[in-house]
Amino acid sequence: MCATPGKAETADTSATAQHQHVHRLANGLTLLTEKVPNVRSATMILMVPAGAALDPATGLGSANVLSDWILRGAGKRNSRELSEYLDGLGVQRGAGAETIFIRFGASMLGRNLAAVLEVYAEIVQRPQLPESGFGPARDLAIQQLDAIEDEPAQKLSILLKAQHFPDPLGRPTVGKREHLQALTADQLRADFQTRFTPQGAILTVAGDCDFQQVTDLVEKHFGGWQNPPRRATAAKPAPRGSLHITQPTNQVQIGLAMDSVPESHGQSILIKMAVGVLSGGMGARLFSEIREKQGLCYSVHAGYQSSKEQAAILGYAGTGPDRAQRTLDSFMVELQRLGQGVTEEELERARIGMKSRTIMQGESPAARAGALAHDFYHYGRPRTLEELRARIESVALADLNEYLAVNPFGPVTLVTIGPNALTVPA
Amino acid sequence: MMSFKQVTLPNGLDVIAEVNPQAQSAALGFMVKTGARDEQPEVAGVSHFLEHMMFKGTPRRSAADVNREFDAMGASNNAFTSNEVTCYWAHVLPEFLPRALDLLADMMRPALRIEDFDMEKKVILEEISLYLDRPTHVLFEAVMADYFASHALGQSVLGSRESITALAQPQMREYFDAHYGPGNMVLAAAGNVDWDRLVGWIEKAAASWRHLDIRRDYTVPQPQPRRRHIVDAKLKRHYIALMCPGPSAQDKQRHACQVLADVIGDHEGSRLYWALVEPGLADEADFSFYPLDRTGSFFAYASCDPARRDQVEDVLLAEIKKVIQDGVTEAEVLRSKNKIETAAVLHGELPLGRMRSICARWTYTHEYRRLEEELGELEAVSGADIQEVLRQYPCSPVTITTLGPE
Repeated sequence: MCATPGKAETADTSATAQHQHVHRLANGLTLLTEKVPNVRSATMILMVPAGAALDPATGLGSANVLSDWILRGAGKRNSRELSEYLDGLGVQRGAGAETIFIRFGASMLGRNLAAVLEVYAEIVQRPQLPESGFGPARDLAIQQLDAIEDEPAQKLSILLKAQHFPDPLGRPTVGKREHLQALTADQLRADFQTRFTPQGAILTVAGDCDFQQVTDLVEKHFGGWQNPPRRATAAKPAPRGSLHITQPTNQVQIGLAMDSVPESHGQSILIKMAVGVLSGGMGARLFSEIREKQGLCYSVHAGYQSSKEQAAILGYAGTGPDRAQRTLDSFMVELQRLGQGVTEEELERARIGMKSRTIMQGESPAARAGALAHDFYHYGRPRTLEELRARIESVALADLNEYLAVNPFGPVTLVTIGPNALTVPA
Repeated sequence: MMSFKQVTLPNGLDVIAEVNPQAQSAALGFMVKTGARDEQPEVAGVSHFLEHMMFKGTPRRSAADVNREFDAMGASNNAFTSNEVTCYWAHVLPEFLPRALDLLADMMRPALRIEDFDMEKKVILEEISLYLDRPTHVLFEAVMADYFASHALGQSVLGSRESITALAQPQMREYFDAHYGPGNMVLAAAGNVDWDRLVGWIEKAAASWRHLDIRRDYTVPQPQPRRRHIVDAKLKRHYIALMCPGPSAQDKQRHACQVLADVIGDHEGSRLYWALVEPGLADEADFSFYPLDRTGSFFAYASCDPARRDQVEDVLLAEIKKVIQDGVTEAEVLRSKNKIETAAVLHGELPLGRMRSICARWTYTHEYRRLEEELGELEAVSGADIQEVLRQYPCSPVTITTLGPE
């Protein structure tokens, strides 16, 4: 435990306490750090709860434009100076709008961390938001809408999310063309003022870093950040059901979504294990039954996705129009077959797969920085590798099979893109 | 401490490892020096199809066994085929290394059963369809075909629907027998690896692999200035690709080329970024160095609104011309070196990243460098080195292939 000034609180977490620390600033920003042994790099992730969920009803896509515009100059540095300064520090970086957060990620050599933290503190508190940069940022967001039309698989995932989740959770972060066209610099500047708040913001640093030093820097550069939090718009129900978009593609894009329990729920580990049996590797059911035994597709998989309130299992397959219905039917058979239970062997493969990935990610500062942010968002604290391992090992076959028998997957939301519509088998 | 190990088995198989006892995992891979450039046109796509078939079992394993065994080790594993190499790899916890090696080595002598061949052919045809729905891939294959013209490097890695449909299993067997000799392969490992035991295992596993005399056709490509526009009415964006000659993967100038390419066309902070992306003219623009076995090229790419296609192409060409005429600044060189250094360090912190690096370098040059030495080579690049590259390779002749709705 370290003593910290003011109302801020610091806590270390458990057995690997020397490596993980949490520090909550008085303004509501939470810092999480993890020292990764034997590495020279560090990765910083800053998540500000200013994502697309906060976009005004007539300004869909605002967060997306803002995530570009905000990097075009901050503090005393203009757009070019800022970019050249970060390049000079060798920073590999990205920024983008998600549903809940606008996320900034930066990887660098550990020795440059202090300078980089200072820059990002400027970006979120004192962006220049120059008039000259607004037009291009908005224009690029509009071009992105066209680019998606040329990438059917990407288009499918956006449509599926919108079909299955209630708004604002399911809303496409890319926004709406007519809203983007009407958006002005003044509107977005005003929006920014009430949007970028430290309340609920998460800053994680993993890799070659010293907790005390990072804490001091973050207190110094982010401590004065003040902005009241803003609430997201009220939820509108999801359309659900089926949606087909007719498009002359070579392959039919098939997307499925089913409700599941959120990450922080005690039973989410059972769901993840079941998804592992379904789609964890090349020996898993979807790949082996649909691709290997029937040769129906090249790409077929399923995954688990969760926000704080709501989670889903998302499935995907892409295949030729003449084989698409058979592929969907086979996919549904596999979903239903899970209800009959899995074998001990299958469970063991899913367990070892999850355990290996966890340990191997432990070697990567970028993966650890992401995991810290994920864990804090869902669990309110970081989780150690030991804890993750224990949770994976705790899954018993009887518990999993009982859960699957009592909680069948479905009903299914279906979205397809291609020459012909498909029907969900009864 | 990190150490490098190397041995060549009597049958010609090179085995290399960068051993790091502190690593939590180990990565292992076979790189075979064969790809689309080594195919006769009538078997176009066979290298890649064969890569899929290598997962379909061996005399002592079924296809399902192969997949199940990888999963049972919790392996992260895959394979890829390029114009020049085919690579099979697995990333595992150290305790699974013997099993991973046993499996990968066994896969290198596949059964190629006819029923698996017929089933997998359907999957390959679907993969071809998948990529036909991706304009960037369609454009990349088209510009390669235009640039290399009749040279084998212009051949598609996936092949065509026609070539794959016509391909027969005996042709694949023949291709395998002619290209998968141990002297044409490298086994590389990185991370927490027990070297002595690794060598013992592979000596046993590869004991029956017969040495083959394999020679790649090194006919020098003769790129000519070309321009082609492909119309696809269903597209919303216009896509531009450009290729011109550059140094090879063996050339000492390759580090300077990497820096030069970053200055011109990194996705962040480069000349093309400021000229095209930052002002919103193009949503993507990049310039990269594409080194190959004893030949090489530079590659540029941009995508934009169809209405801006002429403007974007003009700016793209003008920026390249400006660099050829005026060179690059020392400040740009320094920034690019710093960016590349960070990328190399990040990549090098993971056993899988190191395995891929050392494996590719060994395949192309029979050299090994520690990460620090690689960074030293990068650090040594000067503005004068870049001037020399530009003098020798002034982006000529240039092939431009474009794809768009009109």
